[in-house]
Amino acid sequence: MFNTALTLSDLGFLLQGALMTLAVTAVSVTAGTILGVIFGVVRNQVGPYWAVPLTFVLDVFRSVPLLIQLVLGNAFQSIAKLGWPPFTTSCVVLSLYTAAYCTEIVRGGISSVPPTTRRAARSLGMTWWQDMRYIVAPLATRVSLPSWIGLTLGVMKDSALVLWLGLIELLRASQVLVTRLQEPLLILMICGAIYFLISFPIARLGGYLEKRWSND
Amino acid sequence: MFSYTFHWNQALKALPQMLDGALVTLQVALLSMVIGLALALALTACRLSGNRILGSFATAWVEIARNTPALFQIYMAHFGLGNFGIHLSPYTALLAGIAFNNAGYLAENFRGALKAIPDTQTRAGRSLGMTSVQAFRYIVLPQMLRIAFLPVTNQMVWAILMTSLGVTVGMNTDLAGITQELNARSFRTFEFFAIAAVIYYVIAKAVTLAARALAARMFRY
Amino acid sequence: MKTSVLALGLVAAAALTSQAHADKLDDVIGSGTLRCAVVLDFPPMGSRDENNNPIGFDVDYCNDLAKALGVTAEIVETPFPERIPALMSGRVDVGVASTSDTLERAKTVGMTVPYFAFEMAVTANDKSGVKSFEDMKGKVVGATAGTFEAIALEKQVKEWGAGEFRPYQTQADVFLALSQGQIDATVSTSTVAQANVKGGKFAGISVVGKAPFDTDYVALFTNREEYGFINFLNLFINQQVRTGRYAELYEKWVGGELPDLTAKGVYR
Repeated sequence: MFNTALTLSDLGFLLQGALMTLAVTAVSVTAGTILGVIFGVVRNQVGPYWAVPLTFVLDVFRSVPLLIQLVLGNAFQSIAKLGWPPFTTSCVVLSLYTAAYCTEIVRGGISSVPPTTRRAARSLGMTWWQDMRYIVAPLATRVSLPSWIGLTLGVMKDSALVLWLGLIELLRASQVLVTRLQEPLLILMICGAIYFLISFPIARLGGYLEKRWSND
Repeated sequence: MFSYTFHWNQALKALPQMLDGALVTLQVALLSMVIGLALALALTACRLSGNRILGSFATAWVEIARNTPALFQIYMAHFGLGNFGIHLSPYTALLAGIAFNNAGYLAENFRGALKAIPDTQTRAGRSLGMTSVQAFRYIVLPQMLRIAFLPVTNQMVWAILMTSLGVTVGMNTDLAGITQELNARSFRTFEFFAIAAVIYYVIAKAVTLAARALAARMFRY
Repeated sequence: MKTSVLALGLVAAAALTSQAHADKLDDVIGSGTLRCAVVLDFPPMGSRDENNNPIGFDVDYCNDLAKALGVTAEIVETPFPERIPALMSGRVDVGVASTSDTLERAKTVGMTVPYFAFEMAVTANDKSGVKSFEDMKGKVVGATAGTFEAIALEKQVKEWGAGEFRPYQTQADVFLALSQGQIDATVSTSTVAQANVKGGKFAGISVVGKAPFDTDYVALFTNREEYGFINFLNLFINQQVRTGRYAELYEKWVGGELPDLTAKGVYR
């Protein structure tokens, strides 16, 4: 069973792929979260009626398969002659995708803060910004963090799709090795194990936080 | 300005073909949800059974389904199982991959829903002379399904989006498969995928609205 | 979405202000690098060696082209479906990617004269009992999606009215599926078939015969409107044959009888 042609340098190749997966995830989640927080606050601030265009656009990102979004995004940047490398295209599309989900999470978090608390803050003479910064942000973060961790892991797993654009991330690296070595099962198992090892501990942390924070 | 001119009329000619594909997409998604729900109930039962082997089997299933990419799971269902001489057609592999994924996520949703139902209710049921199965069937299950309804709807939308991954295992009858084939033939990527995106959006919206209408009818008290 | 509109505007502005720009041939020479789109899971045209570096006929061909232009070559790996977007976005200058010169595609990109020609061969799983092209009737067959042979094979399966056709996204997946017995037989270019069977990595598959499809001429491609560059590429292909370099590369990567790149009785 372990009689394999897989060499150390091949394992290094897989790890490089894993690093690419992590890099794409890190960039997209960071950018997506910033956008998501902005959109979420805006949506809460302007009310549901004025937020319709924003809601609609974000909804599209949640209702169209990521694969289609990536291909479309890539075709768009190619038509517009932006000349983005696959990494940039992948990150831009994934960031918007993340932002679409993150907006919902942020909105949920903000609306979980009781209006009475916020009114109390404002009547103490806090400005809108102070209210957001010292009252809403800490409370909303507690509510939102577990879902946000879930979202991050989701994006990490979904980032496997960027292989379609020719980016050699973890799954694509495994496919390259399968092509050369013809040991699909072993290589795919290693690939799955790496995903699992990245995802599982963070998922557990999310579960732990949820449990701890929901009881008080 | 752009060296690319859109050929929409060419692309729109393929619309009937793509709508046929959309039906297949919907079919796979629905089937995978039915199978996924059944499996998720079974996994939940395994976890509640108190049997250590069944319990850890269910936990392993749930954790693997939730911690590896869906694309990986589908690829594995086709090429991984193929290594053992188990040959699933692209359709079956896609269905199996999504059902596996659905089951994992739904089982986790059910677990969350169960926690929200107080133990005391079951005990009350038992003290009224119900068997434990009856108590589960008539007291816990209806509430669980009600609490889990929204996550189940979300999972259904996910299932629709996941069907697009079938192209990687040779699926050519669903919406993504047909779109990709049209694209490979003519290189008119943007037009075909834009149309596909619109169709996916419409399907996903229709399913969400239908689910909402259903919920309004079912959970009226 | 707003950012993309903004980006679009910026691009529009940039495009308008730089009206009198040099053509692609000048751009390549000026930049000092030639970026080629090459498919790397398509041995012997493109694949990876033990250190996962690109090798193959197309890789060498790109290097020759760069040398002729007096620049250095950069190999950009593109999966089959990614070749055109890579070109359109200006991420690559030319596709050296075994691309069949179909009329359908020529509506979108500019094709040169053929630089290579493929014969089609049938490769079958030994257990399937397929011994010739006709034996494939009623069997499960597959090929790489969108390729010349896939389109022809799918049409044939429909004509037979029996069996099933499955397109895979990469050539590697086709052979993986074939060796696992997921499909009974495939039609691929004979070079790919030989390379995969000879490689010895797949047990239990063999080339069983030729497929009666037309010769698949493949061309280099670049943007449709870059006539100057296409002219240069055409002459380059011609020179490769005249100088014997084409034969040399063919011997190195494929071996056997050199395919003729001209169709009898017609000009291009």
